[in-house]
Amino acid sequence: MMETANDSFQIVGQRPAPERTARLPKKWFQGKPLISIMILAAIILGCLCAELIMTKDPTYMDLQNYNQAPNREFLFGTDTMGRDIFSMLWYGGRISLTIGVLSTFISTFLAIVIGSFCGIAPQWLDSLLMRFTEIFLSIPSLLLIILFQAVWGKANVFSLSVVIGLTSWTSIAKVVRTEVRQIRNNEYVIASRCMGGNFFHILWKHLTPNFLPSIMFMVVMNIRSAIISESTLSFMGIGLPLEIISWGSMLSLAEKALLTSSWWIILIPGIFLITTLLCMTNIGNYLRRSGNQKESNL
Amino acid sequence: MNKETLIEVKNLTHRFSLSRKIAVNAVNDVSFQIYKGEILGLVGESGSGKSTIARCLMNIYTPTAGKILYKGINIHDPGEFRKNKKLLQTRRQIIFQDSASSLNPRMKAADIIAESLKIHHITPPRGTCQKEAAFQMQYVGLDESFLDRYPSELSGGQRQRIAIARALAMDPEFLAADEPIAALDVSIQAQVINLFKHLQQEHGFTFLFIAHDLAMVEYLCDRVGVMYRGRLVELAPAKELFANPVHGYTRTLLSAIPIPDPIRERNRKLVVYDESDFGEGEMKEISPGHFVLKPYKGER
Repeated sequence: MMETANDSFQIVGQRPAPERTARLPKKWFQGKPLISIMILAAIILGCLCAELIMTKDPTYMDLQNYNQAPNREFLFGTDTMGRDIFSMLWYGGRISLTIGVLSTFISTFLAIVIGSFCGIAPQWLDSLLMRFTEIFLSIPSLLLIILFQAVWGKANVFSLSVVIGLTSWTSIAKVVRTEVRQIRNNEYVIASRCMGGNFFHILWKHLTPNFLPSIMFMVVMNIRSAIISESTLSFMGIGLPLEIISWGSMLSLAEKALLTSSWWIILIPGIFLITTLLCMTNIGNYLRRSGNQKESNL
Repeated sequence: MNKETLIEVKNLTHRFSLSRKIAVNAVNDVSFQIYKGEILGLVGESGSGKSTIARCLMNIYTPTAGKILYKGINIHDPGEFRKNKKLLQTRRQIIFQDSASSLNPRMKAADIIAESLKIHHITPPRGTCQKEAAFQMQYVGLDESFLDRYPSELSGGQRQRIAIARALAMDPEFLAADEPIAALDVSIQAQVINLFKHLQQEHGFTFLFIAHDLAMVEYLCDRVGVMYRGRLVELAPAKELFANPVHGYTRTLLSAIPIPDPIRERNRKLVVYDESDFGEGEMKEISPGHFVLKPYKGER
């Protein structure tokens, strides 16, 4: 023992760490929903450049070739009024996607402003507004859309987007409010208020960047549900009129198609719609997961 | 010494209601003045109301009673506040304790520093906001390479420096620092304190410094106020207070300072405060500039 007393200092329990080879850094595309992004991009691009892809005029009713099964001339067949389904798909996708994006834009804007206002407002005003939101949320949104649309009058793309946007902000607003309640007590918000930042400055600079990751998933899902709402309404015959082509109004021909057993009129627009929705769901799920990971890293 | 009053606090009381029946008097009938160009320290145990005073001074809380005059402006009067809004919002700045939560995690350091300039649309003295941020950053001892970093990429001391730079960007007249060094480790504390001392000498701003580290307060401050359970019990020039504490609680507090000498530390006597001279009372001046809280009836 006496000899070892002068030995150099040693830490008990320390083991040499095994040498680790650094893993290959993740490629930029790993872990991202690449297939969904590619399919969605292809669909959006196709809709934007519809004029280049279309083989026929989508609005022209070719009465000699109505209800044709898919063939060389009409790639996806024709509908009961003799319109080319292939051309209608790309042309109508524009309307459906426009309604989806526009109404999501409106509802997200409403949700952020109302949610943040509730989050910052004093207790009684917050309770009041939240109860109002809950009442709004408890009414089936389809009923509200029909009501608003009836008040508005004849449906067009813009009115439909506004109506869908007006009815779908509630759930995002609730999330925004909860997030803002947490963020607003942070000292950077207090400091900003001391410096004289007004409500919109604080909202834009401090609150939105911090709660955006947590609502990103809901925003993407909102595009999806807006497209569904449009199709539902058009299918029921209270949405866009038949002469305005959208995926929904194409599906509204389905009942006639069932009688003539022409499967392509239902199936092909349906597949297109579902593929788009699935891609969006997938991307939305990815955004939610990556948002959660980033939160835990902070 | 120039004794022009910058801030006058008159009978300030702030009450937090916890429920319908229970209310806590966080600050109870406190009056004092802050002179232009001095460093006033506020010390006291946790929950004694130091931070509440700072927050009342910055209009974050509205006091239950009493008033605060900033250059003669009653800052809690809505009308007077609106009239002098720009002055009050630009010339008073605050630094918080927790630098992690006082900086927005999604803003770059340069944007954080230039935020107040952008709010008030002030053309920075050094041209662009970016240049101004770089200047302020060097002023507080950080390299320009930190401009594009996010707060999560900085250490605690660096973050606190960014917070100081943000406050300094407006060239403040009055700076309230709410325990700015409590969350830092000792070596960084010394750096930040020296930075404060240096900045105060160059800028000449008036400085309210809240801390519970008595050694730091003695080193930095011109005058020190001691708070206990919401009341200001003693207010005196720093040297006078540390040499000649009068109030019982001040003595207790000072006796609790650890001494870095084992022999003396072992023989150190802790004074136990018995609260006999605490309660309703008024501040009496016992020697020039030395105020002590004394009960109303009978001189002890």
